[in-house]
Amino acid sequence: MHERVFSTSFSRIRVVKDDVVGMDFPIVCQQCVQAVCVSVCPTGALYVGDDGVVRLEKERCVRCGKCLDVCPYGAVFQDPVDGFPLICDLCGGRAVCVMKCPTNALSLYPLAEVVVRAEDLGKRYKLAITEYGKLLERWGIRVRVK
Amino acid sequence: MLGLSRFYGYVGRVLRVNLTTREVRVLELEKGLARAYLGGRGLNIVRLYYEVPPSTNPLSPENKLFFGVGPIVGTGFPLGARLNVSAKSPQTGILGDSNVGGHFAPELKYAGFDQVVIEGRSDRPIYLYIQNGVVEFRDASGLWGMKVKEAFEAIRREVGDHRVQIAVVGPAAENLVVFSGIFFNRSRPAARTGLGTVMASKGLKAVVVRGDGYVEVAKPELFERIVEEVELEVYSHEQYWPRRVMGTTRILMAANKIGILPGKHFTESEVPYAFEVSGEKLALRYNVKNRACFSCIVPCSRVFVVKRFDQCFISEGPEYEALAGMTVRIGNKDLDKALKAIEEVNDLGMDVISVSEVVSWTMELYSRGILSREEVGGLALEWGDMDVVMELLRDIAYRRGFGDVLADGVAIAAEKLGKGLDIAFHVKRLEMIQADPRGLKGYGLGFAVSSRGADHLRSEPFIELSDDPEVGLRMFGEPEATLRLGVRGKGRLVAYYENLCALVDSLGVCKNLAENMDILNYQKVAELVEAVTGMTLSVAEVGVIGERIVNLERIYDVREGVRREHDTLPNRFLREPLKVGASVGHVIELDLMLDEYYEVRGWDRKSGIPTAKKLEELGLTDVVEDLRCRGLLPG
Repeated sequence: MHERVFSTSFSRIRVVKDDVVGMDFPIVCQQCVQAVCVSVCPTGALYVGDDGVVRLEKERCVRCGKCLDVCPYGAVFQDPVDGFPLICDLCGGRAVCVMKCPTNALSLYPLAEVVVRAEDLGKRYKLAITEYGKLLERWGIRVRVK
Repeated sequence: MLGLSRFYGYVGRVLRVNLTTREVRVLELEKGLARAYLGGRGLNIVRLYYEVPPSTNPLSPENKLFFGVGPIVGTGFPLGARLNVSAKSPQTGILGDSNVGGHFAPELKYAGFDQVVIEGRSDRPIYLYIQNGVVEFRDASGLWGMKVKEAFEAIRREVGDHRVQIAVVGPAAENLVVFSGIFFNRSRPAARTGLGTVMASKGLKAVVVRGDGYVEVAKPELFERIVEEVELEVYSHEQYWPRRVMGTTRILMAANKIGILPGKHFTESEVPYAFEVSGEKLALRYNVKNRACFSCIVPCSRVFVVKRFDQCFISEGPEYEALAGMTVRIGNKDLDKALKAIEEVNDLGMDVISVSEVVSWTMELYSRGILSREEVGGLALEWGDMDVVMELLRDIAYRRGFGDVLADGVAIAAEKLGKGLDIAFHVKRLEMIQADPRGLKGYGLGFAVSSRGADHLRSEPFIELSDDPEVGLRMFGEPEATLRLGVRGKGRLVAYYENLCALVDSLGVCKNLAENMDILNYQKVAELVEAVTGMTLSVAEVGVIGERIVNLERIYDVREGVRREHDTLPNRFLREPLKVGASVGHVIELDLMLDEYYEVRGWDRKSGIPTAKKLEELGLTDVVEDLRCRGLLPG
């Protein structure tokens, strides 16, 4: 969409297709609150915008590719033509991949609270949920057990 | 860098690989050809026509294998991810052509080519690795003999890239079983007419593509608008959900209802156990998720799990042809075993339609006592005995024992044995699909006249199943045309849909969109071609493209000796009325329909050869010259 051409190599969301078990898994920017790609960027070309989305200032980018290496999700791709990093910018809030997804496998919503239904959980998961809650709290996300 | 072409929609390059000399040439796509034939199937047939002369041995180095992609492919157009593979067929000796979806076609374009032509023959097993316009010949002696799925994994590991797309042939092709296919994405074959055999005969185990190129469209705004229109139409179509949930397997129950199933080798057109082997049952008990081809919004491929003590496995598919072929056609009621058999056929790399015909043909002969147990190599071929079938499948693939006879296709097998000639169901040596033409007369005509033999995907007059005379009256001026048991108007119906099929195959769009859902018409195609390629074609010009392709394919077949007498169906469909089911008492009145068809086509009625007038009308003047030199022009 951004380059106005059609190609999977320019795409900021990619799908790993596992033909063996028939699983398809999308790889896309997870919108980390403490974005590693931003913190390692040597020139400050990557920055977090007001809306919390990682953006690229092309003039400052030196195409070192550090962001590609450090992304824990492998969700930073390299433009095959000019070598700039490709990071999902949520298309300015109107994410085209989400709009086009025929099976609604993709969705976009602000993550402020995760609701877990207590009756779905066995005893064994109590601890896991508490730990999960602690982890998410550091990112400003609340876990509520209903 | 790739993609610097002056073409919109196309990449603008044709790759020619000579396996004998290891010579690689990259040529520019001829703009005139693109305009006259669009791409894919059209581009393949025109090259096949001029480059592979008649009486070429299909398994010799002189035969060529074409992978063609249309201009729509790779643009993200919904249902537009089809690849067309063509060669001279070793099974039929005429046009060999097969169409396949998946992710290979767009990747081929991103790798930098609209068409790949493979010539010659390698002296040792190799595979081609096409990456960003660069071709690498890689040794495949380690891969030779591997089954399809094994080979996929091995190649992925070897090239070390999960994004590569692979076309591979199985052990059946290596053993020159004439109905072996080329497999894409593990379970999507370009199976018909034995193209895998051609590929293996060239010593080519696989073609691997990977690319970072891109496709540009000429008018993005117009294109986006058309895409949105089409998407809306697809999403609101009544067939959307059935197709998404069951794919084509939903046809099995429908076919049972109207009595056109091929039960026990076309003797039972209706079976009581249809539900037990249907797509509905699959959807209820087996399917776990859907998958789609590249950029498709109707994810009609299903991943299923079979949970049974000794044979728990997971796989993708099957489609109706495979499902009915391994269940109803051979009298099998056990869905688990059928799925296992389909899996095995795919893994060995064969065409499941042809396999189901050779197996059910043998079973009928065996059950009638015409073939004895000794003659079939000691196998007790009772109807529906899947353990024996599994053994026979492997025998066919490795050409062992009786399997060696069957591996040449049902037509040759019948000639060799001198038995069962009247019940060998094939047209021009290509085995019949899983639909009884006595209850679907337009399809029947389609099988008879199809340029590659008995196959529904050359015409696919799906509208016939609507049984709505109004539609027939409106579209063809004849209410009977869209009644499935009608006879008049079928020539017009089949000719119309043949043209449309050829057109969408050349564009690279799935037939689900054009024929079955009836969403793409000439008007829309003309707009689409303009938006994508920037070529302004009028509706009439677009209409003529399909006709031109069908005529050229016909001439190709005529050059190989096909005449009106070959445009026929097996005797059982012409003489024996159906005994049970909703179409009871019907035979197919082929001659009447054929006359009308030739009339509509502008072909000579006696010989079935296109007339010079028609060909000149379509701009095929040099073809007329060619025919004249060969003394084939009628009249």
